[in-house]
Amino acid sequence: MATSIENLSSDLIWEVTRNQNAFLVKRKQSGGIQLSRDPLNLVNKHSRKYAGYANEKAIGIHADDNTISFVTKVASKTNKPASVHHKTSFAASTPSRKVYRNVVSSTAKKGYRADLRAEAVARASAIKRSQRDVKDTKRVTKLRGAKAKKAAAESS
Amino acid sequence: MVAAKKHVPIVKKKTTAFKRHQSDLFMRVGESWRKPKGIDNAMRRRFSGRAAMPKIGYGSNKKTRHMMPSGHKAFLVNNVRDLDLLLMHNKTYAAEIAHAVSARKRIEIVSRAKQLGVKVTNGKAKITTES
Repeated sequence: MATSIENLSSDLIWEVTRNQNAFLVKRKQSGGIQLSRDPLNLVNKHSRKYAGYANEKAIGIHADDNTISFVTKVASKTNKPASVHHKTSFAASTPSRKVYRNVVSSTAKKGYRADLRAEAVARASAIKRSQRDVKDTKRVTKLRGAKAKKAAAESS
Repeated sequence: MVAAKKHVPIVKKKTTAFKRHQSDLFMRVGESWRKPKGIDNAMRRRFSGRAAMPKIGYGSNKKTRHMMPSGHKAFLVNNVRDLDLLLMHNKTYAAEIAHAVSARKRIEIVSRAKQLGVKVTNGKAKITTES
């Protein structure tokens, strides 16, 4: 008998997997934080709202070398894992505002997970920022004690 | 590195340790806290002049619990993959590299943290060499 998962509700998936799943990262520090490695989780938080694997519709934004890849789940293809993801990507040269506009217009403005609008824009922005060149900020510390004396003797 | 989110001031209600009763009198009695259980124990009965015992009232404000002075909370990181989880949380969490991570991998983690704007609490460990 072939199993059909058509009737498998996302609530059930969540209830079964919320205690332990492959994406979940638990730490005992800081009062037991729970984060998620799920690529379709916009804020990496382990929660029902952001869990991409449990929700029928979900948005994923992640860095791919220099580009940003943008993934959504096609709700009608829940039973076809190979084609469930709709993927696009933004080139490194795409201005950040254009990225945000595209992300919002292809999701929230179409009524697709409008609750994740701010999170999607925030994540796109964070990725853009992380892809920028890092300025080399070397803090100059004032020498003290023996080292200061040595430096003074060398300079004079 | 991004500064932490604004928060209410961190108040530690007691900064000294609770010491075990009579640990000052006997070498064999260690300092780590044990609650006195004796029927006549003056400390257990909270007589005046006796040392204070821990109780729930000494707990920190929920909003600042587990917080470092910088306002971040620590998140243990073993590799770059763990660090990427903090992309959206660089204002609340700081990465703490696990003790068994080698110097070579620490350099990778620290440079990636710089890109992500994540604070690393022990970023200088094992990396800096004595000159």
